[in-house]
Amino acid sequence: QDGLKQCLAEFRQQLAWVERLDVTLGPVADPLSQNASANDAVDPENDFQREMSFYRQAQAAVLEALPRLRKLQVPTRRPDDYFAEMAKSDQQMQKIRQKLKSKQEAMERSEKAKQLRAMRKYGKKVQVEVLQRRQKEKKNMLNAVKKYQKGLSDKLDFLDEEQTSSQGNKKGNASQRTKKGPNAKRRYKNQKFGFGGKKKGSKWNTKESFNDVSSFQSKVAHNKGPGKGGRGGKGGKKALNKRPGKRARQKMKNRAR
Amino acid sequence: GKWKNKERVLIFSSRGINFRTRHLMQDLRTLMPHSKADTKMDRKDQLFVINEVCEMKNCNKCIFFEAKKKQDLYMWLSNTPQGPSAKFLVQNVHTLAELKMTGNCLRGSRPLLSFDPIFDREPHYALLKELFIQIFGTPQYHPKSQPFVDHVFTFTVTDERIWFRNYQIIEEDASLVEIGPRFVLNLIKIFQGSFGGPTLYENPHYQSPNMHRRLIRLSVAAKFREKQQVKEVQKIKKKGSKVLVEEDPTEVVFETPAEEKPVEIQLVKPESKPIVKDKKKLRKIQRKKQKKLFRTEG
Repeated sequence: QDGLKQCLAEFRQQLAWVERLDVTLGPVADPLSQNASANDAVDPENDFQREMSFYRQAQAAVLEALPRLRKLQVPTRRPDDYFAEMAKSDQQMQKIRQKLKSKQEAMERSEKAKQLRAMRKYGKKVQVEVLQRRQKEKKNMLNAVKKYQKGLSDKLDFLDEEQTSSQGNKKGNASQRTKKGPNAKRRYKNQKFGFGGKKKGSKWNTKESFNDVSSFQSKVAHNKGPGKGGRGGKGGKKALNKRPGKRARQKMKNRAR
Repeated sequence: GKWKNKERVLIFSSRGINFRTRHLMQDLRTLMPHSKADTKMDRKDQLFVINEVCEMKNCNKCIFFEAKKKQDLYMWLSNTPQGPSAKFLVQNVHTLAELKMTGNCLRGSRPLLSFDPIFDREPHYALLKELFIQIFGTPQYHPKSQPFVDHVFTFTVTDERIWFRNYQIIEEDASLVEIGPRFVLNLIKIFQGSFGGPTLYENPHYQSPNMHRRLIRLSVAAKFREKQQVKEVQKIKKKGSKVLVEEDPTEVVFETPAEEKPVEIQLVKPESKPIVKDKKKLRKIQRKKQKKLFRTEG
């Protein structure tokens, strides 16, 4: 140890700093590091951390040395018109630039491909949605036309673009009674399954249909009425039991239009 | 200004170096305008001959690369007439020409030298720091130098080794790009004289590359030997588990040989079996017939 120090004392040159240009500093504090203790023990196996510590050490040196040099009037920035031989030839720099460019292009290409793939997926989804929407509209339109043909709704609203479900008109009084009319669930089911469609369960014997004696005519049942000539005043809500003749029906249609 | 600090560095190598070392040497020569080149030295001559070579070239510092076994690279840094010298093992060499080193600097511009604070703490590191400054620092107003300071050499001590990096200074706010080259120095010894003399310091953490390779080979051999031993133990276990039982004479008492069958000699060739393509088909047909019968009965 003493030998080392003696040798160093002999060997050391007393030169002005400007000749030596040496700076001894630790690395600049890393703004991203969590705690200061992590900075001291740089894991040499962790390549990125190691290189970053070297980089920061160089930065610290530069930040300290450049002002000193400027004070000593040693130029540090190369003026733009100063052309001199560089350590690496222009050809070498071209190669480097090419490499960087190709890397960037490759990255961009992969990005674009990814985006295209995502867009294609999205486009497919959109296409499916549009088709479904069109089918739904077609169905609604047909239903509305059917209803009109059957004389249920005498409005020609379905010709317009905007069609609100006006199925509540079937029970005119009922809809006036409560704003909601039939239940929301009921309305939805009416809309979905339509009026020309659901025939499957229409002729079953349910409790209501069994207990419903509205279509009972005692004279018909006991075969005592005047026959087909006359008909008992039934009235009813709608004269659906008796279907008017062709001429009468056409008259009704024309009147509605 | 006048060039006062007359430092000249002789950079050369021994024979048997590979391409990477050659490129590293050339890179150092381009980066240091105060350097001189020389032809390869023969290994037969002894090291103190280098002192004479340096004197002939009028150099007072020397960087000598020595390649052994075409694998290991050693570097000598020395102050030639009488000063100290140091021997290093060089690892992880990357040259200027590598495409990942994107920076560039003026040829012959003066470098800024940046050191780790560890260099001030230990005496041997302090000596090395002085050596590095005198060798790698370009003298001011050297005729081949450029007046601008646009790159910085960093020497850092990590993992008991000295890491060398070279960065280009782009902006005044210290944004840097690596120029290269880069290498790692593993200190072996510091001598008092140039290429000889008493040893001032020996690095306790240094392990010669031969030793390193030997250890690797030994560990591989040890693994193999262990496997073989385990196999042998298993063999012995298997053999050992067989217990010898004495022969029991009363075992054969109740053995009666079987009756001999009359020997039948076939004179006529047996009928060949009908080739059935579907073995189950016959069974299927039978089942169907039965079903039919059952149905007609019912």
